Amino acid sequence: MDYFEIVNSRLLYILVSVVIIFVFFLAFYFAKKAWTRALELGYKKTDLLKVLKSTVYATIVPSFAIVIGLFALAPILGNAWPWLRLSVIGSVAYELVAAETATESLLGAGTSLENASTQDLVTVMFVMTAGISSGLLTLLFFGNWIQRTVTKMGSNRKSFGFVALECFMIGLVATFLPAFLTESIVGVLVFFTSVVITISFGILVIKFKKVSWLRDFILAFALLGGMASSVLWTNLLG
Amino acid sequence: MRTKEQYTNEMNKLGRIGIMITLVLLFAVPTIFGIYHNAIPTFGDFFKAGIGLLVLYIPIGISEVLIYSPLLGSATYITFITGNIMNLKVPVANNAQELMNTTKGTEESDVITTLAIGVSAMVTIVMIALGVLLLVPLEPIMTSETVKTASLYVLPALFGALIIGLLRSTGEVQVKGKLLAGIFPFVLLLIVNLVVMNTSAYSGVLLIPIIPITIGCAYILFKKGKITIVLKDEMEVKE
Repeated sequence: MDYFEIVNSRLLYILVSVVIIFVFFLAFYFAKKAWTRALELGYKKTDLLKVLKSTVYATIVPSFAIVIGLFALAPILGNAWPWLRLSVIGSVAYELVAAETATESLLGAGTSLENASTQDLVTVMFVMTAGISSGLLTLLFFGNWIQRTVTKMGSNRKSFGFVALECFMIGLVATFLPAFLTESIVGVLVFFTSVVITISFGILVIKFKKVSWLRDFILAFALLGGMASSVLWTNLLG
Repeated sequence: MRTKEQYTNEMNKLGRIGIMITLVLLFAVPTIFGIYHNAIPTFGDFFKAGIGLLVLYIPIGISEVLIYSPLLGSATYITFITGNIMNLKVPVANNAQELMNTTKGTEESDVITTLAIGVSAMVTIVMIALGVLLLVPLEPIMTSETVKTASLYVLPALFGALIIGLLRSTGEVQVKGKLLAGIFPFVLLLIVNLVVMNTSAYSGVLLIPIIPITIGCAYILFKKGKITIVLKDEMEVKE
């Protein structure tokens, strides 16, 4: 059996499918529980459907980038394993680095899994899984405590805890934004295109009640427009 | 109707059970595959292949939980189980919170975030499955220069869309001047990026010091009265 017959074997597809199906139903169960609770809290079905619709549209565009990650991983790891890795605790940025680092640590620099033994492949699969599992283990042991602390922080709306909650997102932006604002001019232009689309749609929604439905799709449009503009900017600037 | 505590406990229990089963299933894949092919690795090989990666990613994994949990509430469990956090789940959560005008840290915000992330996770799983099914016919499109170029700029496009939402608070409480807390870490990293190196590959690691620095700045500014909390009804009275 050659390497790609092994990594695309029926056994691996079956094993991977079982995990993905379980996680799909777990996500469904979480959403269902939240839906029921939202109704208990007094939300209307129409409001919740709005959230659903907006979420679906806002998810489709970034999901394309994840699917492209699948196309990058498939020539190295076959189809089944990347399918699992991107669907469960997935991170496009992590998987490729993890596969390459583990392979090179095991077999030496510049080597590829294609020429490795099945045991080496299984080793890499174990390492990739272990490396990404630390977050889940932390949550397993400390999730309850973290949740209680967050609830406490948010409960006193006059305390610093509430300010700290609001500042997590600002810290995220302060970390990511300087890197891509200085990485390439195209990145900067994409960022501002997305800002302009968001503001324009925001103004439209406020000024014209007839198009208030657009509010649910602002994120999706800004993402799509921003990413599409990258092609224009790249062509214009070379 | 259940109390808030009952609901939170239920979600915590569900999350922990979900994590346990997911971890068992995840490790079962290489284990069964290895047993079938008589190719179970030795501990030495696992250690040799994994040490570099584990040393880097274990602290990142732990810090990500601490960083993202306050933003995601009970949805943290399903977010970490399905992954793609910064490039998908955080923006989707933020979008849903804005859409429903919820206040951070409240049960309403928690419930709406969980609903959005659960749905988003299902959509992504379906999209990736379609990608696997249509791998051959889609290949010319997905590997075309146009699509490849566009996919490189997901994060700038996402941040462009999110930054406007940051300028205002949703819900009943407004934190005035909160952006000031981000100035020092932003300028610091801007200088590092301009003078030393581009940090995009290290953003995950950089979150570990930058989030506490941001919160530290916020604390100083809060104590000095530069960052203030205003309840929306108080603002309306003033207006």
